[in-house]
Amino acid sequence: MSDRSAPRYTLFGLAIIVLVVAIAALLARPAQSDSQGKADTAARPANTLQSLAELDGKAPSRRQLNIQHWTTAEGARVLFVEARELPMFDLRVTFAAGSSQDGGTPGLATLTNAMLNEGVAGKDVTAIAEGFEGLGADFGNGSYRDMAVASLRSLSASDKREPALKLFTEVVGQPTFPEDALKRIKNQLLAGFEYEKQNPGKIAGKTLFANLYGQHPYASPSDGTAESIPGITLAQLRTFHGKAYAAGNAVIALVGDLSRGEAEAIAAQVSAGLPKGAALAKPEQPVEPKPGTTHIDFPSKQTHLMLAELGIDRNDADWPALSLGNQILGGGAFGTRLMSEVREKRGLTYGVYSVFSPMQVRGPFMINLQTRAELSEGTLKLVQDILADYLKNGPTQQELDDAKRELAGSFPLSNASNASIVGQLGAIGFYNLPLSWLEDFMQQSQALSVEQVKAAMNKHLAADKLVIVTVGPKVAQQPLPAPTDKPAEQPLGVPEH
Amino acid sequence: MNALARRAAGLLLGTLCLPLAAFAADVQPTHEFILDNGLKVVVREDHRAPVVVSQIWYKVGSSYETPGQTGLSHALEHMMFKGSAKIGPGEASRILRDLGAEENAFTSDDYTAYYQVLARDRLPVALELEADRLASLRLPADEFSREIEVIKEERRLRTDDQPNAKAFELFRAMAYPASGYHTPTIGWMADLERMKVEELRHWYESWYAPNNATLVVVGDVKPDEVKALAQKYFGSIPKRAVPPSKLPLELAEPGQRLLTLHLRTQLPSLIYGFNVPALATAKDPRSVNALRLISALLDGGYSARMPARLERGQELVAGASSSYNAFTRGDSLFMISATPNVQKQKTLAEVEKGIWQLLDELKTTPPTAEELERVRAQVIAGLVYDRDSISSQATTIGQLETVGLSWKLIDSELDDLKRVTPEDIQAAARTYFTRERLSVAHVLPEESAHE
Repeated sequence: MSDRSAPRYTLFGLAIIVLVVAIAALLARPAQSDSQGKADTAARPANTLQSLAELDGKAPSRRQLNIQHWTTAEGARVLFVEARELPMFDLRVTFAAGSSQDGGTPGLATLTNAMLNEGVAGKDVTAIAEGFEGLGADFGNGSYRDMAVASLRSLSASDKREPALKLFTEVVGQPTFPEDALKRIKNQLLAGFEYEKQNPGKIAGKTLFANLYGQHPYASPSDGTAESIPGITLAQLRTFHGKAYAAGNAVIALVGDLSRGEAEAIAAQVSAGLPKGAALAKPEQPVEPKPGTTHIDFPSKQTHLMLAELGIDRNDADWPALSLGNQILGGGAFGTRLMSEVREKRGLTYGVYSVFSPMQVRGPFMINLQTRAELSEGTLKLVQDILADYLKNGPTQQELDDAKRELAGSFPLSNASNASIVGQLGAIGFYNLPLSWLEDFMQQSQALSVEQVKAAMNKHLAADKLVIVTVGPKVAQQPLPAPTDKPAEQPLGVPEH
Repeated sequence: MNALARRAAGLLLGTLCLPLAAFAADVQPTHEFILDNGLKVVVREDHRAPVVVSQIWYKVGSSYETPGQTGLSHALEHMMFKGSAKIGPGEASRILRDLGAEENAFTSDDYTAYYQVLARDRLPVALELEADRLASLRLPADEFSREIEVIKEERRLRTDDQPNAKAFELFRAMAYPASGYHTPTIGWMADLERMKVEELRHWYESWYAPNNATLVVVGDVKPDEVKALAQKYFGSIPKRAVPPSKLPLELAEPGQRLLTLHLRTQLPSLIYGFNVPALATAKDPRSVNALRLISALLDGGYSARMPARLERGQELVAGASSSYNAFTRGDSLFMISATPNVQKQKTLAEVEKGIWQLLDELKTTPPTAEELERVRAQVIAGLVYDRDSISSQATTIGQLETVGLSWKLIDSELDDLKRVTPEDIQAAARTYFTRERLSVAHVLPEESAHE
């Protein structure tokens, strides 16, 4: 049951043991990388795979999406893909109502979103839940830095669809925000903050955003803080809902077993139920942070390392180049430079990843890993050296070609399910991207040269601008083990042992 | 994490994902066949998009391991990426990455599985790579010496530095006194420290045989083409005798056990586990299906009893959940866990009282027709929703086959659950929710240790 557990908004990351547990029971490898390391030479290792030799090298075929687009009478933008194969549909309404619109009250956006399904006229929270669940419908909600989301997955038969949509429209457009529910949810959020204190990764992440964004609204955690939550009032929630959940601030994405006419009727119904109003302005761009390292003592076995700089906003023309560049550095699970050097050749970590998170305004570029505490300083230096080397020399032609091939090959996977399509429609609408965005992105990526990728990476990143946070115990440091293979020329400034 | 984790987390509705003719537009055709070497192949057609998922499931996992050799199955899973006859260490991952595939593997107590999701024209590569490492794994000693360090990092990350995961590991060790389910899948650190690559070779040679595996392919394929590919790449791998494997059976009523842990956590929490059968071990499948319904009544949605009463009504807990995995190879546990609402000064004792009220009510009072109807509506819808993911469909098939059940069970899902009467639910509650079957863990912050 793929998505069923996601929507429950009761726990706020207050992980319940059994869930943690179930996950621990299935130990997936997050990634593997290639022990050939950087393929500096064009020569590929000579494998004897018959099936690979038989592939014709053409890009694979993919499902064609006909994205339809219109605007409701109240100003909500709608994106729709008809998918008739399964008797179900997905509705995802995205508002520019994340914590960057909190206006100095961290947690206001999250509380408002979490309170949507706590009461409507004539129904309390349990009656609402019984309403959806009795129809087999999944209601979901969530709030992040830029956006807040409310979603519905339902069977498409009209006896299920219509009552589910009626309830959804009330929940999103006319919530009653009961006082007792607000108290309860505040308590759950506060419990969640306590719970986070045992998690070194969470501590590192919060500190990193605070250091990276300073006074900018992205600096605060979306869920708010133990100081900010208790004072938030019902009046603040109502005001926030009135402006941030307005039709003009909404994007409605629909995928599934619906005709265009049915989709129009659904969008019109949801839109008409929302408060009237226009789109909210984006937050200001953040200012450059001061580089430097912050260490937080924590009694764990591992030290968590996070390295970051300001990245880009979602409309930045360099996004395809940075995305491809990052894919080679540490973006994919497999065979990236970071995974190859840190995990495969030295066994220092279970996983190391880098990511650009483009947002409404400049989102972060981050590198994230954990390693045994006594090797943390050497590992941090190694990661910094890998980044510096990559910025200095750029990717190899082979790496770029491989990354392009990977991207083209993975394209068919990106719109294989209704769930993945509705997510893409939501993002295209929310960030005002062209309907052809996916195709454009593919084409632009395929046209990039080594020099263009290198130039884009250097335009946005610098090896000496990193904001670094480490969380772990203070222990005597040891030198790193020697890497496994001995390249003819040492490509990095890695100390020899 | 895949659908299995959520399933193990106990949503009743997580268990079955195949369609019912009565509710779905078209049933996706599903086919099975067995190669001469014993490899079972299940193919399910889903032609919505030109993509395919291939999974191979081996009947071996941590419940097959013996003391001193814990973690072997999981470590072998890691080493399966370190080269075979046709390719060098790590090369399979690089080849698949360059083809745009998603690939990974997972190990549990009952199985070890490997998967690739990729554009349909690339399926032969996935199958050739998978067949090659089944037939001819290299297991180089120098690769193992580094990979075991990665595995130790994985253990530190996921268990040693995670108080709740650590608590659950110890809880399982207590709650399964007789079966291999007490063994943590990643292995005890002491066993990782002394693991030898020769042990992995022995483990590989013992269990990685075509007749001990199930290949599941779901997506835009026809059974004939999969059959031809399976024959081409797997057909020449010889059948081999595998060691006898016995179902992990538990003591029915081991007696109440209590574990008190002081860990680096801010909030106290509680774990309950009742020793109960699973579908593969139960004499009467109705009692197992009754337990599945009970889990749904307690925690099958935001309107279920635990969120409605414990979390909201009494505000006793900040969060609580129940779970029951009926699809295990051996006997199972019915699990409940909860975190008290400390903002309301609720204690573990009060939470335990609240949980027992719910359990005792199940023994004495039948659920209402409305409640059961809500569960049914969720099952029906869930069967359709699960078809949106080819991976979720493949995982359900692979899991059922690997724990000794048939993937065809999914066709009878709704009927099996409908057959359960309110009296069955009461009888199951009375039989299984007893002190003699119960293990309890109290997980407390460290400060309390110094009082």
